[in-house]
Amino acid sequence: MSAFFELSGVTKNFGGVQAVSNMTFSLEKGELAGLMGPNGAGKTTVFNLVTGVYDPDEGSILFKGDNLVPLKTYQVTARGVARTFQNLRLFQRSTVLENVMTAAQHHVPYSFIEGITHLGRWRSGEKAIRDKSMALLERVGLADRAEQAAGTLPYGHQRRLEIARALALDPELLLLDEPAAGMNAEEVTSLNVLIREIHRDFSLTTLVIEHHMDLVMEICPHIICMNFGAKIAEGTPEEIQNHPEVLKAYLGEEEDE
Amino acid sequence: MATLIQQVINGLSLGSVYALIAVGYSLVYSILLFSNFAHGGFLVIGGYICYGTLRTFGTGIWMSGALALAGAGLAAVLTERLAYRPIRERTNVTLYLLIASMGMSIVIENIFVIVAGGRFRALPPVIPTAPVNLMGLATTSAFDLLSLVSAVVFLGALQLFLSKTRWGLAIRAAAYDLRTAGLMGVNVNLLISIVFFVAGALAAVGGIFLSVRYTLYPQLGAITIKAFVAAVIGGLGSLPGAVVGSLILGLAEMLTAGFISSQMRDLVVFSMLVITLLVKPTGLFGKSVSEKV
Amino acid sequence: MSGYTEGILILLCINAIAAMGVSLLTGFTGIFSLGHAAYMALGAYTTAILTVQHGVHWLPAILLGGVVAVAVAYFIGVPTLKLMGDYYAIASIGLGEAIRLILENWQSVTRGARGYPGIDPYTTLPVALAFFVVLAVFMFNIINSRFGRACKACRDDYIASSLLGFHTARIRVLSLMISAFYCGVSGALLGGFLSFIQPVMFDMLKSTELTAVVVFGGLGSMSGSLLGTAVITLVTELFRPISQYRMLIYGAVLVVIMVLRPEGIMGNREFVSWVKAPFRRRA
Repeated sequence: MSAFFELSGVTKNFGGVQAVSNMTFSLEKGELAGLMGPNGAGKTTVFNLVTGVYDPDEGSILFKGDNLVPLKTYQVTARGVARTFQNLRLFQRSTVLENVMTAAQHHVPYSFIEGITHLGRWRSGEKAIRDKSMALLERVGLADRAEQAAGTLPYGHQRRLEIARALALDPELLLLDEPAAGMNAEEVTSLNVLIREIHRDFSLTTLVIEHHMDLVMEICPHIICMNFGAKIAEGTPEEIQNHPEVLKAYLGEEEDE
Repeated sequence: MATLIQQVINGLSLGSVYALIAVGYSLVYSILLFSNFAHGGFLVIGGYICYGTLRTFGTGIWMSGALALAGAGLAAVLTERLAYRPIRERTNVTLYLLIASMGMSIVIENIFVIVAGGRFRALPPVIPTAPVNLMGLATTSAFDLLSLVSAVVFLGALQLFLSKTRWGLAIRAAAYDLRTAGLMGVNVNLLISIVFFVAGALAAVGGIFLSVRYTLYPQLGAITIKAFVAAVIGGLGSLPGAVVGSLILGLAEMLTAGFISSQMRDLVVFSMLVITLLVKPTGLFGKSVSEKV
Repeated sequence: MSGYTEGILILLCINAIAAMGVSLLTGFTGIFSLGHAAYMALGAYTTAILTVQHGVHWLPAILLGGVVAVAVAYFIGVPTLKLMGDYYAIASIGLGEAIRLILENWQSVTRGARGYPGIDPYTTLPVALAFFVVLAVFMFNIINSRFGRACKACRDDYIASSLLGFHTARIRVLSLMISAFYCGVSGALLGGFLSFIQPVMFDMLKSTELTAVVVFGGLGSMSGSLLGTAVITLVTELFRPISQYRMLIYGAVLVVIMVLRPEGIMGNREFVSWVKAPFRRRA
């Protein structure tokens, strides 16, 4: 019996530099886990390997028993993996609502012909997409900004919008890439609440990338820590906190904060 | 046999002129990742400067040539400053750059239509075109040999510039990743200006030889389509690819003209484009382009 | 209505149909083309040959003209649009030139560079108008449906779209095929309007003009493209005597728009939302 989501021996080189080396870890269904490490440790590369943006040089990535490695990005998404981006990738010119609708439309079928003629299931389909998207915006607290262009939202709101857009894909595995980056303390607190709530309410398995140690410690019972592309520790917040390798990796970085 | 050797020399000669144009175009592509459709305009500017100075001031070919290179280079820099820089500083949407370059290409062509008129002009006989006998094996024209030699000289100089000078190294780094080059303290705007100057000057060399070969007219720049095709055959953005692709294209054209029919020349060129796109769209030396997330 | 006015109106419909096609591709999907006149040529010649040589009725012939353009678009689009970079843009120039060469040299079928005369004048005002209205309704429906959102997503962020589950290459090819159909039909109607077609009518200049219309109207605004068509068609008629300056101005305006306001006149908004905006309650 394999785990719900499992990386084993995943390695990726970029022109001789090992960005990720022999990465191995697994998540059980329903876990809320954190992937932490200093800047440049290779965390985002792990997400890129999982979602098919890059192909690993070695290793396998299993999700619900299927190997994701040979799949294209859109096929990985179709299997139920959704992600957000460290440097936001919203459709800036579109409205907040359109951003979510773009993702929500996959699960509401109407044919191309119905789309061209606006007959048949078009009306009910579009309404379903819109309703679902509005509900998600409501959930992340952006419903009152639905008609605004996404690019004009404040930074913290853009991060929430990315989460809403990822949720619209009905994922089973949600990968959040530094969702708190650029937020102030107050925003981080409410974001933590949001992450925990959606994790529970949408019965997700969630993996959060974060380089701030305290943030991961607060919400994730299961933490994987990496540095220089390799896993250096894994365990509960307590175990991680006192792990000598982790302390070494973070030495100097956390001191000045 | 003699015909074959002659056509091969002609083909290499034509191909080497394409290479001068294609290399500049590829250089710009490799840095800014967009297809500069105004590139043909630089070639026309070079041609007209050479023609104009030869005619009005009676300068020699060396002087006129140098002026043409400098003029076309500066025009390319100016084009970049006026039309591309404001766009690339505001957005990273290459579509806007493509459209602006199409606009610049129309502007340059029509400036010459209005100022110089649509007439076909022959350059004064400054480049010898007498037939040359190659050790009894074949007869070719001095012009073909000369354009081949000049192209080799200029491409060699470019190679030296790119591999031996500080700016050349910076340009190669920028072709790998422009942002990284900027982070490493390279003045990106100056670098891009240098790239455009080099591209414009090389295009001018091509323009002078093409004006001798086909006469000079405002729409001569349309011949860069061949250089684009050559660049795709060789691999978009690859400089060796641009050279090899150009030589292949020149040979294919001349061999078709010599042995099948000169009407089929262009059709062969575009069939090669289609075949490349179907079989190996990234070309002979191309790497597939992927974006960082 | 005078014959002249009627002619202009028919021409407006024909140009608008092609412009909608290019607008979907360039304005909504973000793909640059310098060879869309080739699809018009394919539509025009297919329809002309079918009606004149094979006695096919003009209505199915026009639709078949569109279908031939779609088939060629598929053939060119599949290898080039799955790649990032300007492969399709260059291929489109190649396509335009190749089609022109074939039309000029395949004398027995296309009658060569001197043109194809004697086409039935089937493009009357009602016919042109009917085609325009139906195709416009379809086009506006497309952009207000799943597919329209998918196109815009691919245009704005190729990577994010594929991670949102879109098969981006397929969407881009489909967008090109629809756009080729519109241009094919437009070309077929042009043949029936002029009763005569010639390879030179579908040269690079025509392709440039198609893109220019869409840029003037605003990338990402379908109604803007229609407005752009109206302006450029009328300006072309008015300034016919000084056409060399016209091209210079075209080019300069294209550059200026890209530098100052790439979103164009309408700036990715549609007329309807623009008119409604002041009256809309904030949600």
